[in-house]
Amino acid sequence: MKVLLTGATGFLGKRVLRELLSRDIEVRCAVRESSRLDCIDDIRTELGCQIEVVSVDLATEDGCHEAVSGCEVVYHLAASLDGCTSSLFQNSVVPTRELVRVASESGVRRFILVSSLGVYGPQKLPRNAIVDESCPVDEAPHLRDAYTYSKAVQEDVAWQTARENDLSLVVVRPGVIFGDERGILSHRVGLPFGGRMLRMGGRQRIPLTYVENCASGVVLAGLAAGVDGQVFNLIDDALPNGREMIRRYRRSGRQLRVIGIPQFAIPLLSWLNEKYSDWTEGQIPKVLSRHRTDAMWKPLRYSNEKAKRLLGWQPSIDIDTAITRTLSFSG
Amino acid sequence: MSERSLRIGLVGCGQIADAHLQQIRRAVGADAVAVCDSEPLLARQAAERFDVPMQFSSLNAMLREARPDVVHVTTPVHTHAPLSIKLLNAGVHVYVEKPFTVDADEARQVIDVAEQNGRLVCIGHDQLLDPEWVRVCEIVASGMLGEIHHVDSVLGYPINGPFGRHVVASPNHWVRKLPGGLIQNTVSHPLYRITEFLDDAEPSIQARWFSRLPEVPFPTELRANLQGEKVSGSLLFTSTTKPYQRVTRLYGTEAGLEVDLNTQVIRFHQSGRYPGAFAKLEAPYRQLRESCGNLKRSVGRFVRGELHYFEGMKRLFESFYESVREASFREVSSVRPPVTHQEAVRVTSIMDRIFKQCRDESGDFAFGAGQKAAEEKFSPARITGEDRSRETPAELVGQGHL
Repeated sequence: MKVLLTGATGFLGKRVLRELLSRDIEVRCAVRESSRLDCIDDIRTELGCQIEVVSVDLATEDGCHEAVSGCEVVYHLAASLDGCTSSLFQNSVVPTRELVRVASESGVRRFILVSSLGVYGPQKLPRNAIVDESCPVDEAPHLRDAYTYSKAVQEDVAWQTARENDLSLVVVRPGVIFGDERGILSHRVGLPFGGRMLRMGGRQRIPLTYVENCASGVVLAGLAAGVDGQVFNLIDDALPNGREMIRRYRRSGRQLRVIGIPQFAIPLLSWLNEKYSDWTEGQIPKVLSRHRTDAMWKPLRYSNEKAKRLLGWQPSIDIDTAITRTLSFSG
Repeated sequence: MSERSLRIGLVGCGQIADAHLQQIRRAVGADAVAVCDSEPLLARQAAERFDVPMQFSSLNAMLREARPDVVHVTTPVHTHAPLSIKLLNAGVHVYVEKPFTVDADEARQVIDVAEQNGRLVCIGHDQLLDPEWVRVCEIVASGMLGEIHHVDSVLGYPINGPFGRHVVASPNHWVRKLPGGLIQNTVSHPLYRITEFLDDAEPSIQARWFSRLPEVPFPTELRANLQGEKVSGSLLFTSTTKPYQRVTRLYGTEAGLEVDLNTQVIRFHQSGRYPGAFAKLEAPYRQLRESCGNLKRSVGRFVRGELHYFEGMKRLFESFYESVREASFREVSSVRPPVTHQEAVRVTSIMDRIFKQCRDESGDFAFGAGQKAAEEKFSPARITGEDRSRETPAELVGQGHL
């Protein structure tokens, strides 16, 4: 079987590439002209495998055809992580629409889109509710941060285009992916402010997934039988809370100055931020709008049961080991 | 038109469109009624985030259905002239994001079409209405600095920012096809801060560009000296020094000042009153008092919610919209837009001469070589979606500029 992998030079992509090759799957990597290929070369040398690499622009039909031609399965991981909203749309959403459409014309058997757990809209869920795949997606993602908005529309566009073109789509929604090059502290734990971290709440569970665990889940989404049209959360077991993560971070010898924002104060701060932003016509942006804070820091529980049951996925590296490995890697 | 809010449309939903839509929302007497981009997804994100009621992927459809009084053009630079001409011929007034056009020939064409149609064009020289810049102009007009003899103007450009990184990584990016490349996209800001005081049509120019970054294959630094009859200017465009400044220094016959548009602070340079060692005490004391005054002023403006990065843009919009209202009941030729048509052409012409001299003196950089091809490839019809094909490059669809 030959598969197309986009985003192979990225944080998750190179692990997915390694996982695919370890299963003797033939892989074509679609990369940008400007991508550095060192990591692909390293994997090729280490595993002694053939890896086909094509430099294409996935925002164009020709580029997509060149990438997809002859592949049975597409793993679409490529996405921009930063930049303004229009740039994220241009680099993530538009290429996704084109790739899904061209894949449907090219006889692709299954298309796997790596989305994000952030697309859920848990604002209306009660505290400590379970977020599983039946939880609705955010109805107003444009009120979230630019990245989450782009991921929500990317997924929406992928579903729509797949339906219109009768393509089998599987969506995986990883939690916060962490690992060697990317530390353990994310915005789900707190926000940077003037050299300090504003710890948001602290007792709510952080929906983490270690990059190696996540990669194996992504690969299984393309291989498991009978999961067409399904969505899967990829989150590790025994999730720590924000306080525990900060404690682990400090215990590794790193310095972190923290200002704790208690859970009960978050709605009040959000209300103040919104009112002040409206009153000053945006002198300070709505970083802490209630719509965002409810999605990011409300205490919730996250389910990975469906991925375990239907994909046969297990986060093989436990969270404690994963955090230890990550902290021992990054300086 | 004078009684109702102006209907504002926008074409090109890239990065800078965000600033426009945010400031249109703040501007008095105007409503953003429609956005347009050849890529519907880009029009969608702009409309959703800024509550714009209509979105289009065809400019003709926007003109027909939204009936805007003014359209903001925030597309890539090589499309400014053809789009503006199309809009002016359709009878709308046009606000064009800087830089105005690819070159002065195009600028003259746009102005000619505007005048033939009795419509106004405004170029996005928004820092001219920044509150601190307006204050500087008032100080100069008061005579406190004496006659201005020299202006230093600095722009620091974050080449490692999201837009700069994208340009570096994309050999076919439209910015790299401009005659002045990346520099052309932003250098009008520090330049018009000089030309505000240097009013010669054709000052003598000494300019050179270069790159200090080995991984960047195009110029990221510009040094230019302008010499007018009464005033000289020096322009520093740099991508390697921090902080990224938007600073101008004025040198007058009585005193000087420095204005930092990023921090919204003005500092004066004055001769001391006291002799010798006393002057060494007087200077820091005066700076202390000045800093206290600046802090008090900034705190007041913060409390009143007046510290907006694009405040100048909002004020320029309001001023232009006022000109548009005037044009509805007066002869257009008697209406003076906030940045005159002549000034738009003059600044563009000076930019042309700077880039020509840089290209003549450093043949290493092949800027402009792809320009003709770009013009042919990026016709206005394709930009606005009327003849949109799957081959439409992503770079066209409103990828904004800083």
